[in-house]
Amino acid sequence: MLSRVADSLFWMSRYIERAENITRILTINFNALLDMPMVDAAKSWRPLLAISGDLSLYEDLYPEINVRNVMDYTLWHVGNPNSVINCIVRVRENARSVREQISSEMWEHLNRLYHHLRSMNRDATRRSPHEFFTIVRDGSHAFQGITNTTMPHGEGYEFIQLGKYIERAGMTLRALDSKYATVNALPEGLPEASLHLIALLKSCSAFEAFRKSNGSQLQASRVAEFLLLSSEFPRAVRFCLQHCLDSVNAISGKESDVIRTVPDRQTPQRLFGKLNAELEYLDMQDVLDQSLVDYINDLFARINAAGDTITRSFFSTQVILPPPRGMAALQQSHQQQQQQQ
Amino acid sequence: MSDAAVQSLKSVLDQYELGGFFDEMFSTPHQPHPHYQTLYGQLSDLNPQLFDERRRAADASFLYQGITFTVYGDNDDGIERIFPFDLIPRIIPHREWAVIEKGLVQRVTALNQFLWDIYHDQRIIREKRIPTELVFGAKHYRREMIGLNVPQQIYSHIIGSDLIRDDHGNYLVLEDNLRSPSGVSYMLENRQAMKRTFARMFARYGVRAIDHYPQELLNTLHSVAPHHEADPNVVLLTPGIYNSAYFEHSFLARQMGIEIVEGRDLVVHDNKVFTRTVRGLKQVDVIYRRIDDEFLDPLGFRSDSTLGVAGLLNAYRAGNVTLANAIGTGVADDKAVYAYVPDMIRFYLAEEPILQNVPTYLGLRDDDRQYMLEHLDRLVVKSVNESGGYGMLIGPHATHAEREKFYDMIVANPRNFIAQPVISLSRHPTYFDGEIHGCHVDLRPYILCGEKITLVPGGLTRVALKRGSLVVNSSQGGGSKDTWVLQE
Repeated sequence: MLSRVADSLFWMSRYIERAENITRILTINFNALLDMPMVDAAKSWRPLLAISGDLSLYEDLYPEINVRNVMDYTLWHVGNPNSVINCIVRVRENARSVREQISSEMWEHLNRLYHHLRSMNRDATRRSPHEFFTIVRDGSHAFQGITNTTMPHGEGYEFIQLGKYIERAGMTLRALDSKYATVNALPEGLPEASLHLIALLKSCSAFEAFRKSNGSQLQASRVAEFLLLSSEFPRAVRFCLQHCLDSVNAISGKESDVIRTVPDRQTPQRLFGKLNAELEYLDMQDVLDQSLVDYINDLFARINAAGDTITRSFFSTQVILPPPRGMAALQQSHQQQQQQQ
Repeated sequence: MSDAAVQSLKSVLDQYELGGFFDEMFSTPHQPHPHYQTLYGQLSDLNPQLFDERRRAADASFLYQGITFTVYGDNDDGIERIFPFDLIPRIIPHREWAVIEKGLVQRVTALNQFLWDIYHDQRIIREKRIPTELVFGAKHYRREMIGLNVPQQIYSHIIGSDLIRDDHGNYLVLEDNLRSPSGVSYMLENRQAMKRTFARMFARYGVRAIDHYPQELLNTLHSVAPHHEADPNVVLLTPGIYNSAYFEHSFLARQMGIEIVEGRDLVVHDNKVFTRTVRGLKQVDVIYRRIDDEFLDPLGFRSDSTLGVAGLLNAYRAGNVTLANAIGTGVADDKAVYAYVPDMIRFYLAEEPILQNVPTYLGLRDDDRQYMLEHLDRLVVKSVNESGGYGMLIGPHATHAEREKFYDMIVANPRNFIAQPVISLSRHPTYFDGEIHGCHVDLRPYILCGEKITLVPGGLTRVALKRGSLVVNSSQGGGSKDTWVLQE
């Protein structure tokens, strides 16, 4: 498989996962706001903007934080690299460049999703985003199903899985990070704490799963443990990292003639293997005794480092051309146009 | 026309006017040619609302499949359009197709011999059958190709000649596209759409299949691999997803089961071409390239090309990779060189041309130029190196200022212009805006040259969707139809 193709499959998958996660987080906060008395809207949106986008960029673009502006920024703004519409555009562009590698069903589904979102009334979605959220969420879920049932489960499929799980692990960590500090600062037993925890679980669609495995014990530490260490819940960090390792193993295989640019110590197999081993034997109490927030940040950095090794071992080759930017990018798209006979 | 009142398309068809043109469907008003009789009957019975619904369904399916092309010059939004598709098929009887097929095989054989000749012995020039400056002065003549041997002496492997019919119904060759003709994916997708939409009508007609085109293309590419590889590695080289024909590139790669690559996916080492894969480098034997010559290799041609592969030209010269089409085929595409194709057929094959050219005046010849300049209001003037309907003047429809501009350009650079009489292209009933109009059509069959020369029966029928317009190019608002070649 071409390195560029693997790269595109990986990012196609990451971006659709990102779009889904962002819309889920927005939905939950949108609903949670309705339940929270006397809450300062700005205070509630702020951590969320930090998760799903760039808070300082937001502050440059809008005078104040309100639902309408937040929706505009997170759903539609072209200047926000992680706005949902930008994610979907990139999903489609990546898919388009590997159309012959993915199934027609996958492509048509993504293409329809794109056209559907583009045709929506933007102003209406800023006021009431539920329909938009549903389309993106269902679109992403259907994409997983279509991929699973129409694409051969070979190398390309594994890159798609890898992209999905690495993105998802990162998102769960960020959600945990942003809410955990808030909840921890509140006095024990306050109903507001429960509301925050429920919102956190729901933003990882983990509420029902958590309830089933933990009964009525809605405590911050248990929620954290569940989201970090569950090996059964598909959005838990450990679950995601297990699947990353499986995919990396499937891709690397037993081949010995692979040309590698990465020194052996830094292979994706090794880094993902270490992360998995650690989470498998982690004692949550040890972490809580230290600082969960520090631990999350550290884990986040290590997952990113493992992600970098994927880029270096599979997507880059010895001759690395810088990606075109600015004038060069413009020139490239101009050259690509060519007159048609 | 009130929609509710109309129960069948018959009344719409009855209002159809021939307008003095040769019509593909009708010999006289209400009287279809024999091979259109069945279609006419079935269309007449059809409910217009139903027809419209099916048309919309077909359009939606093109959009969702991403069968779109990109139009430049509009704003950034909404740059993707579907290539308008008309549900009324064009029908070609067997005996007509047999002539077209024979004529095109003859033509491309002569053209490939011409290309070999001008890059080797140059016999046609030494024997003064074509002006020297016409060949060497052609924009797409590539000196890099002199003396270079290409497998089986084939330069143009994929050709899409444009045929038109004059007011007597004679098929004429308007141009030979020998570099990288596009549109074949529309030919194939149009057929799929017709089968989905009018399965029963289709089944009754005995239409010859075209679906094997990708397989034939792959066979052709395999047959020109260097060193007679048993299982050559063929790739399709695209400029990238922003190219207006990207859909087609990806479609063909998918249908052939080959890799689609961009320049940055390829690397040349030791005069061999490789793809960069997640498991290292893999050698490439044949490149079906959809990139213009000058962008292929920044070391050989344009140094600012970001689409090409450094060193590709050397690998090609070393005979380690085949390019389809070869470099330098554009010289035979030159619209002035075109005028000499009938002479090439006589010269190389000692045969008379089966398909005629459109009469052509060359700016290069004094008498012709004089005539051109005096009759700009009656002629179509074309710049010799443009394609896609760019750089042309349709005299009778042009403004005085436009004609003046072309007058000056011709005087300044006569070699660069040709003129042809305005041919009243044949028309075909075409449905748009709730009515059936007579629209001008052409036909682009695709010819494959490898070990043998192959044509799938049919081609892309392009249709000018603006009332009275003669320009059928997709970039100028043209559409297309399915083309049915009938069994014997």
